[in-house]
Amino acid sequence: MTPVLRLLARRLGISLIVLIGVSMLVFGIARVIPGDPARIALGPNASTEQIAKLRASLHLDESIFVQYGHFIKDLSRGDLGISLYTNRPVTTDIAQFLPATLELVLVAGVLMIAIGLPLGIWSARFRGRFADHIIRLVSLLGVSAPSFVWAVILMLLFAYYLPLFPIAGRITDTYTIESITGFLLIDTLIAGNFQAFLNAAWHIVLPAFALALSGIGQAARLTRANMIETWDKPYIEMAQAYGYAPARIANRFAFKPSMIPSLTIIGLDFAAMLGNAFLVEAVFAWPGLSRYGVAVILRKDLNAIIGTVLIISAAFLIVNLIIDLLIAFLNPRIRYSQRDVK
Amino acid sequence: MNRTMVILFRNPLSLLGLLLVTLVVVLAVFADFIAPFPEHRGAVVDFVYFNKAPTARNIMGTDLVGRDLFSRIIYAYRISLILGVVVLAIAVPIGVIVGLFAGYLGGKSEFVLMRLTDVFLSIPPLVLAIAMMGVLEPTLLNAMLAVTAMWWPWYARLVYNVARSEREEGYVLAAEVIGASKYHIVFREILPNCLPAIITKMTLDMGFVIIIASSLSFLGLGVQPPTPDLGSMVAEGARYLPDSWWLTVFPGLAILIAVFGFNLIGDALREILGAEQ
Amino acid sequence: MSANRPGSGEDTGSVKNGSMERNSSGALLDIRDLHLGFRGYTGYTKVLHGISLSINRGQRVALVGESGSGKSVTARIVLGLLQETRTARITGDVEFQGNDMSSLNASQRRALRGTRMSMIFQDPTSALNPVFTIGYQFTEVLRRVDEKLSKEAAYLRAAELLHTVSIPDPARVLDAYSFQLSGGMNQRIIIAMALANSPSLLIADEPGTALDVTVQAQTLQLMHDMVATHNTAVLFISHNLGVVREFADRVYVIYRGRIVEEGATQSVFESPGHAYTRALMAAVPRVTGGGIPDIDDESADFHDPCFTHDSPIAGTES
Repeated sequence: MTPVLRLLARRLGISLIVLIGVSMLVFGIARVIPGDPARIALGPNASTEQIAKLRASLHLDESIFVQYGHFIKDLSRGDLGISLYTNRPVTTDIAQFLPATLELVLVAGVLMIAIGLPLGIWSARFRGRFADHIIRLVSLLGVSAPSFVWAVILMLLFAYYLPLFPIAGRITDTYTIESITGFLLIDTLIAGNFQAFLNAAWHIVLPAFALALSGIGQAARLTRANMIETWDKPYIEMAQAYGYAPARIANRFAFKPSMIPSLTIIGLDFAAMLGNAFLVEAVFAWPGLSRYGVAVILRKDLNAIIGTVLIISAAFLIVNLIIDLLIAFLNPRIRYSQRDVK
Repeated sequence: MNRTMVILFRNPLSLLGLLLVTLVVVLAVFADFIAPFPEHRGAVVDFVYFNKAPTARNIMGTDLVGRDLFSRIIYAYRISLILGVVVLAIAVPIGVIVGLFAGYLGGKSEFVLMRLTDVFLSIPPLVLAIAMMGVLEPTLLNAMLAVTAMWWPWYARLVYNVARSEREEGYVLAAEVIGASKYHIVFREILPNCLPAIITKMTLDMGFVIIIASSLSFLGLGVQPPTPDLGSMVAEGARYLPDSWWLTVFPGLAILIAVFGFNLIGDALREILGAEQ
Repeated sequence: MSANRPGSGEDTGSVKNGSMERNSSGALLDIRDLHLGFRGYTGYTKVLHGISLSINRGQRVALVGESGSGKSVTARIVLGLLQETRTARITGDVEFQGNDMSSLNASQRRALRGTRMSMIFQDPTSALNPVFTIGYQFTEVLRRVDEKLSKEAAYLRAAELLHTVSIPDPARVLDAYSFQLSGGMNQRIIIAMALANSPSLLIADEPGTALDVTVQAQTLQLMHDMVATHNTAVLFISHNLGVVREFADRVYVIYRGRIVEEGATQSVFESPGHAYTRALMAAVPRVTGGGIPDIDDESADFHDPCFTHDSPIAGTES
């Protein structure tokens, strides 16, 4: 399996370069900020000495390259600085808020795969028929609205008019669950509190669906398009000529090759949820990174902005890395160099 | 073009898309004549008709300070469309040029340009725009800038992939053999082959730009009040659910209708131009 | 529509209507007056205008014509694949081993494929699925007949079969993917797969055209020997008269959806009757140029009735 290891090493290398690039980009953006971040952070009543002190501690008086050097040095020690908004290390803040966001995104991602792919397969298999038209229409509608619109619509329909699901939050306040992983769905199970688990699951349904809807639509559309392209390949006609059941041809002989081009884009869609989570969290008062992110942005809290964007980008790169490995697993052309069996 | 017409008119969905987009464009362009209360696009207060459910006077109700929601949605369409056109008008040429040269030239410029593209693509789209808006002042111009910054890499990637495969095609080799300049090959030979994919993507992207821009203003990071914007209207109204449902439902549906229209046309174009993704 | 067509049905033993005007006792496949058209954007396009063709057990029959003449669609109707295309309109009779294909439903037609009939395609490498191993695909083929066949048994059987098509190291080939193997190797695999379940009819659609000439010749020779040992009938579709002459016992020449000439290979080649057949023969590759000679095909010659070399069999009706 050396080609896979080589691929992994290559991808890791590229990811690292890209991550450094991202840090430079974000750092650059944060430094073109109009106005003095120290003054904004301390408020209009701060004294000149206070501002000067903060400027010194943030290295704001030195050149941008020196500032970046300091930043990288701190970063390599796992130090993203102090948030001017919460007065805590940015890493602590992120550690507190990130799990809720990741939990939401992961559940939405599972929904996207579990619903989007089968819809796409069905749509391709029954191309041009009624089921296909309906699935295409619904999936196009799914991608035609931002997730906050779906969040509002789902909330109105299934929390207010039909009070099936809670309006906000991650779990009912009466449960106290010790935070181990930060993922409530896991922590409740570790605590052995099945009731609390169901409660948390009940809370996550609407936000996860709101977040997943456009991803489901996108995954279905993509799967359909690639399945249809694969359908014209000679090996599918060969499978038909050998009389395999249509469902088997679709689910196996056509699906696996067609997933290879789909996966990259599904990975990107999955990653886009990391951004869209901000919108859904705002609607459902989900205690994730969104509220923190928007708050620090409005307060021009540079350390926290940089930290948040970097962490999200790192998560994004990890997702892509996993997708690349998955593609290598599905695609033997990547696993084996060509023509090594003579 | 016979086939084009057949595809367009045989499929009721493409017709619907054409209809929706025409509707949105007409509303946006002729907002001054169509809006029942054109002055409500600005900071107007009407304490007689505030927070009213839809009536014959205000077919989509009124907002919290008594402005006609329908009028504001029409003006918000105008802002959205301007934003979409400007963003694509800047982002597409940048992305196309980067992608063409990276894909055709290869070597060092390919590595540098595509890694640069990867950097931008490695920040989830909305997050980059959010971060930029956080640093910049939230104005329409800056919103355009932020969305443009996250948009060009997609075109760079798209064109790069086409250009890289076209590089090996016979007609490019033939052009090289007869001594055509790089400039000629890139713009006269390779670019025309990318056009169907670019045009299809642009149509679909009109919708996505509207989505992203409204998302920014939903978070309070885009166009600022009193300028009407679909995203900030939904955000404002969400606090008054479920009683004042019209405050969120109509602006939300307005986004859906516009984006749906562009997506339907994009799909039809994809079929006509035979471009995939 | 056509209840009183003559039939042949030795396998099922069911009583068939109609007279025995045709020499049908040995007919494995009997196509009578087959019409095909497609509904499209621009209206209805007729592709086949009443084709009749019959193949006896173990017989090698070639269907010759240029591309677009209707060869491949005929093969796909025999396999029952085209019947599933909703834009296709098919009329006429196709009888395979006494089964009237038009009276079967989709899953009954499917049950015949891969078991009693199978097919070989133009390009062996693209006909094999690139993301599954040869062994996996071979196992699937063998399980068409024996559903419960274990993986080990299937691999053993597959290795045996690969051995018969002169593949020296079957175990390694079974673990490989198609893109790791040469085109000739893939073609051998395809031949082994196609004959694995001992079908009574093999349809070969321009087999190996994508391969280079020497490899194509080798694999055709192999196919020739293999069908002889299995006593498999072949419907051989080609535009290459040179190949047809060596391979087939009997030739049908198809032109624009009509059979224009039929007969024993030798007599068709020695005295081609129809203007189109003569044109085709004149087009056999020469150094100076190829392609079908530029003859005005609206000329009356090309609309001659079917030229048949063996008198008892009637030509096309219509």
